[in-house]
Amino acid sequence: MVRGFHQNLEQQQAPAFFARGPSPFARLVFFAALSLALMATDSRLKYLTTVRENLMVLLHPLQVIANSPSRLYNYAGEYFSTHHYLLNENERLKKQSLQQQITLQRLKTLTLENANLRDLLQANKSMTERSTLGEIVHVGRDSFSKKVVVNRGSNHQIIAGAAVVDATGVIGQVTRTYPSSSEVTLITDKSLAIPVQLERNGLRAIAFGHGRDNTLDLPYLPANVDIKRGDKLVTSGIDGIYPVGLAVATVAEIKSTPDSPFARIVCVPTGGIENHRQVLLVSIPQTEIPVNEEKSAVDKKKPAKPANSQPARQGASTPARPQQPVEQAVVNTANKPPVNVTSKPHAQ
Amino acid sequence: MHNSKLKSIYLSLLVAFIFLLFPWSGLALKLRPDFMLLVIIFWLLRAPNQCNVGTAWFVGLCVDLATGGTFGQYALAYTVTAFFAVIYQRRLVLFNATQQLVYVFLLLLISQIVLLILKTFAGTESPDWGYFLPSLTGTLLWQIAVTLGLNTGRLSRGS
Repeated sequence: MVRGFHQNLEQQQAPAFFARGPSPFARLVFFAALSLALMATDSRLKYLTTVRENLMVLLHPLQVIANSPSRLYNYAGEYFSTHHYLLNENERLKKQSLQQQITLQRLKTLTLENANLRDLLQANKSMTERSTLGEIVHVGRDSFSKKVVVNRGSNHQIIAGAAVVDATGVIGQVTRTYPSSSEVTLITDKSLAIPVQLERNGLRAIAFGHGRDNTLDLPYLPANVDIKRGDKLVTSGIDGIYPVGLAVATVAEIKSTPDSPFARIVCVPTGGIENHRQVLLVSIPQTEIPVNEEKSAVDKKKPAKPANSQPARQGASTPARPQQPVEQAVVNTANKPPVNVTSKPHAQ
Repeated sequence: MHNSKLKSIYLSLLVAFIFLLFPWSGLALKLRPDFMLLVIIFWLLRAPNQCNVGTAWFVGLCVDLATGGTFGQYALAYTVTAFFAVIYQRRLVLFNATQQLVYVFLLLLISQIVLLILKTFAGTESPDWGYFLPSLTGTLLWQIAVTLGLNTGRLSRGS
């Protein structure tokens, strides 16, 4: 009888109130270990890239839903924009278009002339980059990194590493691609560096993102460097990623501290990092093997192009067919031999 | 009854996730409360049999996917937070409104601190005090929800 009661008790399940499975601490240890393993896998090994891409496809409809209110708001705003405003804008755009047409014509003749000269010298052909117009879908959700998400992805032949520019200058680089969107790390992100050149004297440097307050740093430049407030920085193109001569930043502040041999130089990006929606994704130029090394050195006389960011405007005029990227010629010195880098007499 | 509760858990998480996916920017991004964590804390306190540390881990993983950071960061932060939420869950019925609010604030702060530690290891520079603002806004959101009549488990002694 008593035995039977005991058996009965053993068979009985604990009341639902206590049925909680493993203790919270056991769960904590298990899931924390799992998270740490995931972190290690994701940051050190590259196995999870495809997993992430596939999951992002699942996420896409939710993203569309989440974006719809703001899109609706924008649409309504456009719909109710006043007659006066539209007239003003029309006039402004016409003026801008005229100005750009003039520069464009000059560019065409210059490109032709350049090609001819290059032919004469049998130098390397200047490289052409494909570019695609994209739109910023949303700003990155991680407050620690400066990233935006653009609505063009691997379906539109975007590959990681492509430069991203807008009408006023470079804004960043594609760091991760998903099927229908891609993640752009802005130049103000701490992990991004961009090779630049001073427009005034051709001084080469590397600009690093500051990370926090939308500025760029120019570290490793000596305290007596020839640099002034207001100097313009343009891409130097020696990285083979960014086209030459795109505006990057303006020098805002120069501090030389007595305890450091380097000057502390703070620059403000030219590109509308926080306020533009349309951006141009410029694919990485095809690197050619230099045929004739000494001939290509002739190019070093070519002055840095003014920072009028032709490619951005050129591409922005054809938003109707984004899947057929705009072919355009941008002179790039990326395939120059490294000799060229040091042969600038006025670099230091 | 169980089923309906599970359904509302999933639904609320989905809604919170869409809130997270909104195109936040500028000041709103800095103030944005952690919707997913708030919802998961609510369900951890309200329905401990349906929701546990594992659920929080999975939700954290979804957030990791949405933010595009390294997998596992939010997952770990949410796991630790959920642990603290669960071990004090039974004591919560004795808390009054203010105590509960402080408790929720501490939970939100714990997740942010864990995240900060992980990010510091990953090499990002330390943010300013504004980084902790989402904890405050999150607590505010909780208080608004309570004021609007959301039963956050404080009176659940009888149920």
